Amino acid sequence: MDNLAKHLLQRLMRRIPASMLQSTLDKWGRLTAEKRKSLDFTQSKLTITQELVALCEESELTVKHITELEMIYVTENPNQGMWHTFQLLDPEDDAHSVELMQFKEQFKSHLSELKRNVSVKIKKHTDEAVWIRVAWGDGLSRPNHLKATYVVHYLQTPYVFVNALSSKNKPLLLQALTLSTKHQQIKAANLSGQKLTALRDLLMRQYQQVFPTKYPSPLPESDQSISKLRIEKVQAEASANRHRMAGETFGDGMLPALQSAFFQLETKFKDPTNEAMTQRDEPFICSVKFSSSNLLESLRHCASSGIASTPVTPLLSSIPLKGRNYFVITNNVPNA
Amino acid sequence: MSLLKPFSKLPDLNTANILLVENEEQFQQNLANTLVEETAVTVNVRLAKSLPLPMENDESRPRIDLVVFIINLTSDKSFESAKASLKYLVPGYFLGKVCFMATNARHASVRTGCLDALRQLAVSLHCPLLFAEDQTPEGAASSARRLLTILKVASGLVPNTTALYLSNLTRCTMPPDIDQPSFD
Repeated sequence: MDNLAKHLLQRLMRRIPASMLQSTLDKWGRLTAEKRKSLDFTQSKLTITQELVALCEESELTVKHITELEMIYVTENPNQGMWHTFQLLDPEDDAHSVELMQFKEQFKSHLSELKRNVSVKIKKHTDEAVWIRVAWGDGLSRPNHLKATYVVHYLQTPYVFVNALSSKNKPLLLQALTLSTKHQQIKAANLSGQKLTALRDLLMRQYQQVFPTKYPSPLPESDQSISKLRIEKVQAEASANRHRMAGETFGDGMLPALQSAFFQLETKFKDPTNEAMTQRDEPFICSVKFSSSNLLESLRHCASSGIASTPVTPLLSSIPLKGRNYFVITNNVPNA
Repeated sequence: MSLLKPFSKLPDLNTANILLVENEEQFQQNLANTLVEETAVTVNVRLAKSLPLPMENDESRPRIDLVVFIINLTSDKSFESAKASLKYLVPGYFLGKVCFMATNARHASVRTGCLDALRQLAVSLHCPLLFAEDQTPEGAASSARRLLTILKVASGLVPNTTALYLSNLTRCTMPPDIDQPSFD
C-alpha cells in the first residue's frame, strides 16, 4: 500500500466520526470478518487508525479501495460541505430514455475526452440517485484524490447537485453532464446549502403540500367538555386564515431543513423620512441574509402568527415555489 | 371603529367574563384553561391577539368585565401591539376593568427601559401591573388566582366592593426615586 493510499486513509479516518466507524467499515466489506473483529473500537481514534492502516497493508488494498470507502461515507452522510445546484435545460428527444449504463459510459468517455487523468467512480444509491466521484488530475499529474468532487443526479430529472468543484474544472464537468444526459444547456439553479437532503426535498417537492380546498377543516367535534366551551378565541377566523395561507405557501408538517436565503438588493432607496438617501438616483446596493436551523419552518411560523403579512409576499414565497435561495432584486424585474 | 364598552350589555347570573389580549397567543391558553376550572363562579374566557375585535362576533359576545393585556417584556412588538389596542377601549374601562400582566420580566434579553415604559403606561392609566411566570403550570395557576380575585370584583360578584375601589388599592405607582436612573 503506497504512501498516497496511507495518507488518504488517515485523512479519511479523521473525517469519519467514531460512532459511524464500525458501520461504515462493515458496509465497505473489503476487510474480512475476522480482521474487522480484531479491531477494538473502544480505543482512541489514533490507535484504531494505526491498526486499520496495518490491516489494509496486509490485505494489500490500494487507493481505489480507499476511495470506495470515502464514497460510502459521503453517500451515507451527504449533509456536509457546500452543495450547489444546476439545472439541465433543452432536453433532446431521447433524453427521457437515458438509463444508467448508458449514462455511465457516456459520462466517463466525455469527461476523459475533455481532460486526461481524471478518475471517475459512479454508483447508484438505493434511492435512485446516481453518485459520481471525480478526482481531477491534468496531463502531467495524477488525479488528486484528496480534493474529489461529488455529483448527485437523479436520472430523468433536470437537477444536478455538485460539491467541492473548482472553477477551473467547472466547465468541463458541466459539459460532460450535459452531453451524457442528452440535454443542450445547463445553468446554475441559484440554490445552495449544506444539507443535500434539504435541497433535494425542496426541489423535488418531497414534503407535504397543502392544496386550496373549499372546506378546509373537517366538521368540529360536538362533544367538547363544558369547560372548554367557555373558552373562545375571538379572532379565530383571522387566525385560521393566516394558518391556511401560510400552509399553502410553505407546506405542511416537516419542511426541508433549508438553512439560508440570500437576497441581493439593487433597488432604489425608499424611505419618506430620509430625504438625503431618497434623492440619490443610483440604486442602493444591500444584501440580506436569512439563516436558521430550519428557514422554511421559521418563515411559515412568521406568516401564521402574523409577523409577516399574508398573503405571503412573492419575495419569500419564491423560495419554496421556485426552489431557489439566492435572489437578485432590481427595480424593474423582481427575482431576476 | 368598534370600541369595547363595559356596560352596554346585560350581565348573566353568577358569571364573570374576562378577555385576555396577547400578541404571541401562547400564555393566554394556559391561563384560560386554569381560569375555567373555577367552580364558585362561571368564568367565560375570550382570547384575542389584539383589539379591535371583529364586528361579526359582537352579538354573541358577552359583556367583558375585565380586559387583561399580556405583554412579553422580551419582545418590543408585544408592547407596541398592546399600546395600539388600548385605543379601542372606551375610557370607562380604565376605572378598574383593565389590568396589565408582564411575563419574562427577569429574562436576560429584556431591553433596558422596557419595564419602565410599561410601568409609566400603567401608572398613567391607573391600572394594576402584575408579573407572571409563564413557563410552568404553577406560574399559570398563581397568575390565574390573582386574576380571579380582580375579576370577581370587576364583575360585581363581591359585595360592598367595586372595581373602582379595588383599583385605588391595586393600581401601579412609580417608585419614589423616579428622578434617579433605575438599576438594571
